[in-house]
Amino acid sequence: MKTTNANLGPLTYAWLALVLLTLLSLGIGQWFHGAVWLPLLVAAIVWIKGTVVARGFIEAQFAHPFIARVLAGFIAFTPVALVLTAFFGSQFARWATL
Amino acid sequence: MTTTALPALEPPPAPTGNSRIPGNKGIWVGICCEFVEFLVLFVAYFVARAHFPESFEEGAERLSRVAGTVITLLMVTSSFFIACSVATMRAGQRQRSIWWLVAGLVVALGYPIAKYLEITWNLAHGINGESGIFFTVYYYLTFNHLVHAVWGILGILWVLARHLAGGYTTEDYSGLESLASYWHATDIIWLVIFPFFYVLN
Repeated sequence: MKTTNANLGPLTYAWLALVLLTLLSLGIGQWFHGAVWLPLLVAAIVWIKGTVVARGFIEAQFAHPFIARVLAGFIAFTPVALVLTAFFGSQFARWATL
Repeated sequence: MTTTALPALEPPPAPTGNSRIPGNKGIWVGICCEFVEFLVLFVAYFVARAHFPESFEEGAERLSRVAGTVITLLMVTSSFFIACSVATMRAGQRQRSIWWLVAGLVVALGYPIAKYLEITWNLAHGINGESGIFFTVYYYLTFNHLVHAVWGILGILWVLARHLAGGYTTEDYSGLESLASYWHATDIIWLVIFPFFYVLN
């Protein structure tokens, strides 16, 4: 079997970014407790972390466009919903009331 | 045996352009179903949060942030190890690939253990499924994720057995990559769940 040197550097950087962003989000939750714009920051971090996993680990940028779109759509859903719920929560609650 | 450097993030030759399927089509049908299932649960979370914002602000204060953080670090680390297993297999380093997969399995096994300890801590602090809307949604979403993670752990065991038996080669490691894709997708789902219950307050 022909062997080559596996370059694990990009995977390591992706992992480090995920660890740092996890710790950062915890800090943000504590420092900006109750801030109106906290969901905006949290939404941004969720989107970045999801994108890091999709691109760094799954290699979505090389994947079939359908797979890339499914990943991008799923990762974008929660940040968008977080922001909408934070700023239009009462309207959303009215629409979602049976 | 020849040794050359692999460029960063260079995938194996794709059939045409960027139309590569990481793993096989079957696993992506499963991953799409998993995403749809969790999207429905996320909608339930947002509907509950919009109706009871105070419950969700207070609820996060009562959960163990340490448990949530440990589970997150276990998920991203096992995901990283399994990605390394795929990368080393792609480079033809079968033994290293097996060891990375074993490391991924060991770290992944920490998740159900951490969840057990978290539930024990919760119950000791009077937190159960009937402690309010926040905790009902919390238990429903996190238990669901745990079930999917257990399927992933069983998948890792199966792929490890096949790997040990020489089931993967540099040319054909789609089974290993399918497992990796499922585990990464399950990782993404946890990264979404984590701030829902442990960060936002």
